[in-house]
Amino acid sequence: MKIDINHIAKLARLKMDEQQAEKFASQMEGIIEMVANLPEIEGVATGLDTSNPMRLREDVAVPSSAKRSEILENAPQVEAGCVVVPRIVE
Amino acid sequence: MLYTKSAAELSAMLKKGECSSVELTKSVFDRIAETESKVDAYVTLCEESAMAKAAEVDAKRARGEELSPLAGIPIAVKDNICTKGVLTTCSSKMLYNFKPPYDATVVEKLNKCDFVMPGKVNMDEFAMGSSCENSAIKPTHNPRDLSRVPGGSSGGSAAAVVSGEAIMALGSDTGGSIRQPASYCGLVGLKPTYGSVSRYGLIAFASSLDQIGPMTRTVEDAAMLYSAICGGDERDATSAMRDYPDFVAELGKGVKGLRIGIPKEYFGPGVTEEVKNSVMAAVEALKAEGAIVKEISLPSTDAALNAYYIISSAEAASNLARFDGVKYGYRAENIEGLIDLYEKSRSEGFGDEVKRRIMLGTFVLSSGFSDAYYKRAKVLQMRIRQEFEDAFADCDVIATPTSPFTAFKLGENVDDPLKMYAADICTITVNIASLPAISIPCGNGVDGMPIGLQLIGPRFSESTLFNVADHYEKLAGGFNKLPEIG
Repeated sequence: MKIDINHIAKLARLKMDEQQAEKFASQMEGIIEMVANLPEIEGVATGLDTSNPMRLREDVAVPSSAKRSEILENAPQVEAGCVVVPRIVE
Repeated sequence: MLYTKSAAELSAMLKKGECSSVELTKSVFDRIAETESKVDAYVTLCEESAMAKAAEVDAKRARGEELSPLAGIPIAVKDNICTKGVLTTCSSKMLYNFKPPYDATVVEKLNKCDFVMPGKVNMDEFAMGSSCENSAIKPTHNPRDLSRVPGGSSGGSAAAVVSGEAIMALGSDTGGSIRQPASYCGLVGLKPTYGSVSRYGLIAFASSLDQIGPMTRTVEDAAMLYSAICGGDERDATSAMRDYPDFVAELGKGVKGLRIGIPKEYFGPGVTEEVKNSVMAAVEALKAEGAIVKEISLPSTDAALNAYYIISSAEAASNLARFDGVKYGYRAENIEGLIDLYEKSRSEGFGDEVKRRIMLGTFVLSSGFSDAYYKRAKVLQMRIRQEFEDAFADCDVIATPTSPFTAFKLGENVDDPLKMYAADICTITVNIASLPAISIPCGNGVDGMPIGLQLIGPRFSESTLFNVADHYEKLAGGFNKLPEIG
């Protein structure tokens, strides 16, 4: 099956030059051909483990052990205690 | 040499005062100095904090404090498990400078046991791979033959433990990432039942399949480490709330009457003869001890691989969407606007294998394709679970190879993603079905490399798995044999 690698890359927020796109397209086609081989079976997947149901937490704030300053230490660019990003509103 | 001993032996020695944690930790770092330049297991070494912790444990012991059996034991941690203030890179350029502001639950638990962390160990980038060659930092070498891969993705964990650069290690397993490197390096590796070990602080690859588990040189050590890390956790909504025994105390029950199922689908043409023969020889040895061997069938095994790559990649595409260059991790330079920031940071930050999985996941979830791929894969997953459940009506454990072949050479498969994916055939069903499985050594191939026997059990049957594995280890004369590294 032919796949539109540029469309998939755009959805995945990835960028690639033409040469890379060609290599990925051919690899992806091989991989998709492999994984497409699934038996025709009817059924609905619930995915729930009834013996150990997921517990939803109460909607209350719990104090974090991490300090704001520690969290911001990981940010690529910080000003006045905020993370800096490019302008998004002209 | 202290570093050659098992954790259980060292724990007893520490308790009796026959050695100190400082001496033990020093022995491990001396070994690192000797072999790490050949093995390349670690991405971050923490010698100063490890030695300080060892001294602290010795002081506690001198004061007569009651200590955990893991107190003072050097345990390496895979680099996708968050360690407060210590680099946690997932062996990716994307997280090259990430210092988590918190500890993963497993690390918190081990801290309460007073463990010593020598450092963080290498892996395939974001745990995607089976050879450790997808690390953005460096490949790790198999200490049993430096020209071969240690397996992956927890290749650094395996290499550190088998070289003596750590006594034990934590790995993580999404499709075989603990068991396959354990098999390639001749170690014990447990992928626990889904939900039995908290995933809080494990950087997610495929959240419905990921589990953290022990990688050790003996079964008893694996039981010891697993006992310390399992348990319910409020911070992981998928964590099972139940009580767990002390798995070490549960050992020694023998295998008389134990029913071992042999699924013929795991002994197909892709599996080498020497692997089949070694696995069946181990099963025969257990039979001679009173176990009952039966042939069983798990018909959906072949298609399971496809379901695995669809489900795991779909989840990976969602989980890895958070890496966008904004709040932490790698940010590209010379950007024009926010979208460009996302696209450039992700394209420069991720390696090729990670990109392939993100794109596969994006494709199988994209409009017009999700019914044909993702939904069908999830239905197949239900069927695989049912097949295992039916099989466990007739047997207590299922024995299979861990990997179809022994450790391959570095570079041998690196350009062939499909071949690499196909090699996961024996391990991925266990994750798909949320089951526990242990890999233990069962002989060597003609190349001298270890072969792994995988024992699979029903959910929460770790106690049985440890018991059978431990019984086989005793029959085999012990697993803890470190190689000459040359």
